[in-house]
Amino acid sequence: MNFDLDENQELFKAAVERFCQGQDVAARRAARAQPGGIDRARWQELAELGLIGLAAGEADGGMDGSHGDLAVVAQALGHAQAVEPWLECGFIPARLLAGTDQLAGVIAGETVAAFAFAEPARRFVLEAQGVKVRGGKISGTKQFVLGGGAADIFVVSAEDGGKTGLYVVDAKAADVEVRPYPVADGGVAAIVTFHDAAAEGPLAADLGAVIDEARMMAAAEMTGIAQRLFADTLEYLKTREQFGQPLGRFQVLQHRMVDAYARVESIQSAILRALLQPAAPMAAIKAHVAENAIWVAHQAVQLHGGMGMSDELGVGHGLKRIVLLSKLFGDPASDILDYARAA
Amino acid sequence: MDMDFAPEDLAFQKEVRAFLDDKLNARLREGAANTPSVFTEPDITREWQAILAEKGWLATSWPVEDGGPGWTPTQKYIFEKECAIAGAPSLPILGLRLVGPVICHFGTPEQKARFLPRIISGEDYWCQGYSEPGAGSDLAAVKTRAERIGDKYVVNGSKIWTTHAHHANWIFALVRTDPSVQKQRGISFLLVPMEQPGVTVSPIITMANDHEVNATFFDNAETPADNLIGEEGQGWTIAKFLLENERGGSCAAPALLAKLDRIERWAKEEASGTNGSMIHDPNISQRLARLRLEAQAFEVTELRILAELAKGRPAGPQTSLVKLTSSNLRQAIDELAVDLFGYEGLQLPVTRPLYGNEAPEFVGSRAAQLSMPAYLNGRAYTIFGGSDEVQKTIIAKQVLGL
Repeated sequence: MNFDLDENQELFKAAVERFCQGQDVAARRAARAQPGGIDRARWQELAELGLIGLAAGEADGGMDGSHGDLAVVAQALGHAQAVEPWLECGFIPARLLAGTDQLAGVIAGETVAAFAFAEPARRFVLEAQGVKVRGGKISGTKQFVLGGGAADIFVVSAEDGGKTGLYVVDAKAADVEVRPYPVADGGVAAIVTFHDAAAEGPLAADLGAVIDEARMMAAAEMTGIAQRLFADTLEYLKTREQFGQPLGRFQVLQHRMVDAYARVESIQSAILRALLQPAAPMAAIKAHVAENAIWVAHQAVQLHGGMGMSDELGVGHGLKRIVLLSKLFGDPASDILDYARAA
Repeated sequence: MDMDFAPEDLAFQKEVRAFLDDKLNARLREGAANTPSVFTEPDITREWQAILAEKGWLATSWPVEDGGPGWTPTQKYIFEKECAIAGAPSLPILGLRLVGPVICHFGTPEQKARFLPRIISGEDYWCQGYSEPGAGSDLAAVKTRAERIGDKYVVNGSKIWTTHAHHANWIFALVRTDPSVQKQRGISFLLVPMEQPGVTVSPIITMANDHEVNATFFDNAETPADNLIGEEGQGWTIAKFLLENERGGSCAAPALLAKLDRIERWAKEEASGTNGSMIHDPNISQRLARLRLEAQAFEVTELRILAELAKGRPAGPQTSLVKLTSSNLRQAIDELAVDLFGYEGLQLPVTRPLYGNEAPEFVGSRAAQLSMPAYLNGRAYTIFGGSDEVQKTIIAKQVLGL
């Protein structure tokens, strides 16, 4: 038994840390202010470090990273509070586009791909209904397309012959309408309407399997953020003085931080279980991570007081990213209910 | 024992309802409903304030001789409850509920004559200078210095979380007039005009993207010496009076219950994607039920406090629970709204306002668009005005005797 990172994983983690060095609130805000909410130069840099290719197989020119390798990257990005949408526009498209011509551009950071899966009035249902493919043409509307404002291509789930398949659509095509809107984590999502646009597919990727992997990565990122917020709050309580002593001297805050510590350790263990135990229930584990990460983030805001409310601090950014990830491909309540019913 | 209002109170309730029916226009209702922040913007509140001032129903917590309507505690409660149910805008309470009563109670006749009519007319817009970068929970640690020089005070220092300082032309501030004595005793309550070169307001944008609070800096700012309320060194006593005044009878539950009613309506319209509407979702419906039970109980707690006040007795110790309970309920309700809307609850508009022609386009519904900023902004409820932790310490000591 061994829970240490291996040599490669240490390198991936260090690469992410270097990539994020100096990315303070101002730098992150500047990146978010780029068209579509993505700084293309930074995105390219991330790709050149091999961090997108890590999610692609060797046959596609990728590095075929293990789940453990990929989770280390997701967690490190979370810990650094990176604004680059590695999960949404890197990991997920790299998995979905396996074996396609478009993948090389995604791995190189030249093509930004966004996954269009959510439909209006369908909540978390993954089977496509409103977006259909007929004779190679796609029609219908998707929403909550993360990174959709910056995307060059969309990977779209669509109904064809009563089945949900995955299709590639050129985001710049005249018959594709993209309406960007801001979302909680400071990023940009889009409502995308296809008007009989050309669609390539169906792709070979197994949608259900990729969604479960994405849940794993979302959980790893939430864990990284929660650990960061916990560390920042601990530091704050040791330095911020009120009533003539550091806040950390107050017993109520000491106990609160012990509760937070227990939750942070619990979610780290949950991630390791997801990585190392075959057939671990990914949606439920993500739900467990999400609920605890949200609790930790709420405490981080509360214990930072007014400062925690300000957009000038990473604390609020962490809370907002966790809240967004907590609902990606299902929210904790629905995932736990599904798990209970399946058990 | 009963929970009924007396016939004359029921008649008053009818009068209030008719008034609200008549005067609350669509713009005011929309502005109130589509404001995710704690405070409503002046473009909405000024109009509502003028309507109430005309009726004489504005300064409800002031004595009659200073312009109050002379209501009983029960009438005050009924008015607030009906306003909450009808969805009336909140009012600029920093003037009407905070500094107003202080001036009524501690002000000289000249100060009353100078300031009170201008609060009612809306000519003066007030903000509060309490917290400082180094004095948050520990309010008595304020450092902002006011030095008496001739017939004026010269103020230096900084205040933080000054709500609506960017709209205000006056600030009431806790300032240190005597650094040589024990910390509470050296504090004074001073009124300072904002429109002068020595005062700078710098916005603080919240994580909800609202501009509601600011940092306010004083660099040799001046105010005439007769803008001191009470005496030098009396600031802490006045600050405590203000807090107690804030806690003398409350009407928070009706607004919470009204929000839960709205969430129930939205849940009936929100598709689950699998099985009809979200009202049948076990998680959403159970949380809605639990929060209702808690808010309904809280409503009775507030009525118990009211019953004491109505009999002319001091409010009971339950008063200390009001802020704690309402803040936490409010946050849980806001979380429920976000969770109800699925992915649509994750949109977070960057511009304001969210009403009128300038409102940004929403995804799904306006209610969905409001849910995330309201939830994020509402995290402040357990922080401002004495954090939960500070409140609990006070209750443990003063109520439980621990």
